[in-house]
Order: sequence, then C-alpha cells, then structure tokens
Amino acid sequence: MNATPTKSTLRLSGGVFTLSILRLTHASAKTLQAELAAQGPALRLVQGAAIILDLTDIDPSLSLPFSEWLTILREAGCFPIGVRNVSDEQAEAAAALGLPHLRGSDAKAASAPPASNTAAGSVFSQPLRSGQRQYARGGDLVCLGAVNAGAEVLADGHVHVYGPLRGRALAGVQGDESARIFCQRLEAELVAIAGVYMTLDAEHPLWGKAAQVSLDGEHLHIIALEN
Amino acid sequence: MAQTVVVTSGKGGVGKTTTSAAFASGLAQRGYRTVVIDFDVGLRNLDLVMGCERRVVYDFINVIHGEARLQQALIRDKMLENLYILPTSQTRDKDALTTDGVARVMEELQTQFDYIVCDSPAGIESGALRALYHADAAIVVTNPEVSSVRDSDRILGILAARSKRAEEGAEPIREHLLLTRYAPKRVQGGEMLSLDDVQELLRIPLLGVIPESEVILQASNQGIPAIHMQGTDVALAYKDVVARFLGEERPLRFVQPEKTGFFKRLFGG
Repeated sequence: MNATPTKSTLRLSGGVFTLSILRLTHASAKTLQAELAAQGPALRLVQGAAIILDLTDIDPSLSLPFSEWLTILREAGCFPIGVRNVSDEQAEAAAALGLPHLRGSDAKAASAPPASNTAAGSVFSQPLRSGQRQYARGGDLVCLGAVNAGAEVLADGHVHVYGPLRGRALAGVQGDESARIFCQRLEAELVAIAGVYMTLDAEHPLWGKAAQVSLDGEHLHIIALEN
Repeated sequence: MAQTVVVTSGKGGVGKTTTSAAFASGLAQRGYRTVVIDFDVGLRNLDLVMGCERRVVYDFINVIHGEARLQQALIRDKMLENLYILPTSQTRDKDALTTDGVARVMEELQTQFDYIVCDSPAGIESGALRALYHADAAIVVTNPEVSSVRDSDRILGILAARSKRAEEGAEPIREHLLLTRYAPKRVQGGEMLSLDDVQELLRIPLLGVIPESEVILQASNQGIPAIHMQGTDVALAYKDVVARFLGEERPLRFVQPEKTGFFKRLFGG
C-alpha cells in the first residue's frame, strides 16, 4: 500500500432540528401573496426562519408555482428549505429549485397500516404477540384477539380488548384521565391510565374475569364488567 | 416451485435442529426432493445430527460469497437419495449471511427441490431473521414451559411482520405448532404446561407432539435423524408430523401418561 492517509477537511455528522411548517392549501401564487399581506403580524414569528412547505391539501397532480412561491416567501422574510407531502412530479419541480423532498412523516409516502385506522381509532383483528407494540394516536384502540404477555397496547382514548389481556395496556397516554380499559379477561402485567399505573398478578380478585379499569384522582379502580 | 419451511423457536435447545433433520428426512422418505439448510452460522450442528460432518468441504457461506458453486456444497444424505444437506460454516459469524446472497441461493434451490427446510438459529437477530425471511410455512418448536412459549409468541409476531410474504403483502406464512420434549406424566403432576395451556397461549394449529425421550440423545450422538430410530415413539411421532404437514389426518399420540401394568407395578419396571 502506498496511499498515504490524508486528513479530510470535511466532516459529516447528523443533527435534529425543529422547523416551522407552512401548510399551503391553494395552488396559486396570488393567493399566497394576498394571505401573507393579510396575516402580516402572525408571520413575524417565522421571520428569518427556515420553513418547510407542506402540500398535503393540494392535489398531487397539479403543477405548482414553486419559483413564485419562493420569491414571495423570501420577500416576506422566511426561507423555504424543503417540501413535504408532494407527488413525485411536484418533488422533481421543487428539487430543480433547490427544495429537497423531506419524507419523514410523509402521509403520502407512508405504507398502509396493518390495522384499519379511522377517526374512531385503530382495530386489530390479529392477536398481538410478545414484543409487539401498538399505539392508537388520538383515539381508541380495539383488539379483537388476545394481547399476549410481553405485548403492549397504548391509546390516547380507551383500550378495548376482546381476547385475554395478558400484556400491558395503557389508556389516555396523552393525559386524558377519563380514558378507560375494558377487557374480557383481565390477566394483564400492567394497566395504566393517564400515567397512573398498577401491576397485577393472579391474586387479584378479578383475575381472569371481564373487567374495566378507570382512574379516580390518583387511584386506579378495577371493577367487574356487568353483563 | 419449491416450498420453503422454516423451523424456528426463538429459544435455544428446544429441538429445532433435531426437528429439521427428522422432518426433512420424513419428507424425503415420502419421495420429495428435499434440502435442509443450516442457518446457525458459527454453531454448525445440523451436519452432526445428520451424520455428515466429515463430508463438509464447502458450505452455505462459501456459496453466498461466490467461493463455491451450490452443487459443490450440497451433501447427499447417507440414507436417503433425494435428501441433501447444505451445511453452514463453523468459523464465520451471522454477518456472513447477506440478504442478497441468501436470496440468490434460495432462488437457485427453488428450481431443484420440492421442499427447502431452513434450520433457524435461536434468538431473534439477523441469523434467525434471514432463516425465516423466505418461508412459506413455519414450524414453531416449543417446549411445555413458560419461557419457551413466550419466545415462540415473539417469533410468531416476527413471522407476521418481517418475512418476505409480510413485506410484499402476500398471503401470510402458514404457522404450525410443534410441541417437543412433552412428558405427560410431568404434565399430570403440574410440573409442565399441558398441551391445552400452550395452545391457549399461542393459538396456532398443532402439527404434533414429540414425547420426551432418551432416543433423541442417542440418535443425535450417532448422527442419525430421530425419524430413523425404528420402533420408537419419537420416530412414530415425527412420521405423524410429516403426514399432517402433507395434509393427512392422524390422531394425536403420546399425550396421555403410559398406563403401568399390574405386574410392572408389582415387580418394578
């Protein structure tokens, strides 16, 4: 080997940044200009800041006036540095102007979720097995089969389990104290509501029975589910 | 097109390699062209259980890295002419199993065999993931004890999420439960989980129950797959397993404690 190691002047590293996202709902440059003029004071918050353009609400088949948008936004004092939730063609047009496509939590690029996910919450028809973890953001979680030992179900709303609940169940994880846990067979390792938790074992009087868990102040209440 | 069957468990020491050897031999006995692959890189065992350790020249890893052709690494079984063994390397580690390399070898095997049996390593790391990735069916080997059941449950979750079939959104892997080292007497005494307990926890179709037996140890020490141990419970149980896998109905055996006869009780066994 005759290559002498040279010290590189470049150093590549990663970082995490919080950026403002500007969600555009109309594909015209004039509308943007008018809106900016109307909302002047609100935009002072993003003066001099880097922003991402979110185009979720815009038809992915439209060709968009990226270059006009750039001019208008820069005049208004902010710096668009990327786009998200765009179609491939729109991403190409943006890239030509130096705006990369940021995929992160890109709704249009996300793969289909395994459960049916509606506004009401998530429904899982397969048993949840040891090591699996499911979270229903902003709603209830319904599991039709078992939640096995070592599995974990979380929901911002209620948790309903129609098979045996043997793993962990956490309801109201964003702090909703009115959330509850309902199950056909309570054999859980742990139940929690709004951060108040409790571990369980076979000594519990409702072990193996249909039960609901609710939060009263700082205490969890477990009562039988009456038929 | 060959069918790929992974023999897996999560936990170690439950009987994956014993089962892979017996099951692959059983399929070959039925006339299917079968290959059994050792995915447990660095802990080469399958060739010992199959009694061909002295014939290993090239292995699975050599084929993956293009150092040998597949035909050079395949070892023909000493008892069955349509059974082949693809041994693994003892000196490498699991990182030697590259995704592309495994896919290439599997594709080549597809054209030559009816069944590809993959003997998975224990654990849930890359070796186990590679072994299950291409599977059409899975035999989940479980012992009647809680930690083994818990690990099997974990593996079932991984089968449903990380296989090629799951990634492509194809029909899911067919899951089969195989309960091994089952001792009905100890179940009766409450020392072991019962078949019903295990099924209640895992909720997948039962392929068979292999009784706890010294025959297994004798067979592996001699390098003979347990299915060839003529006249033993274990051999019969494995033959039932193969038959059920091929869609035949077989009543369940060896799940009740053996009745001790009057004279045996009187004079000792």
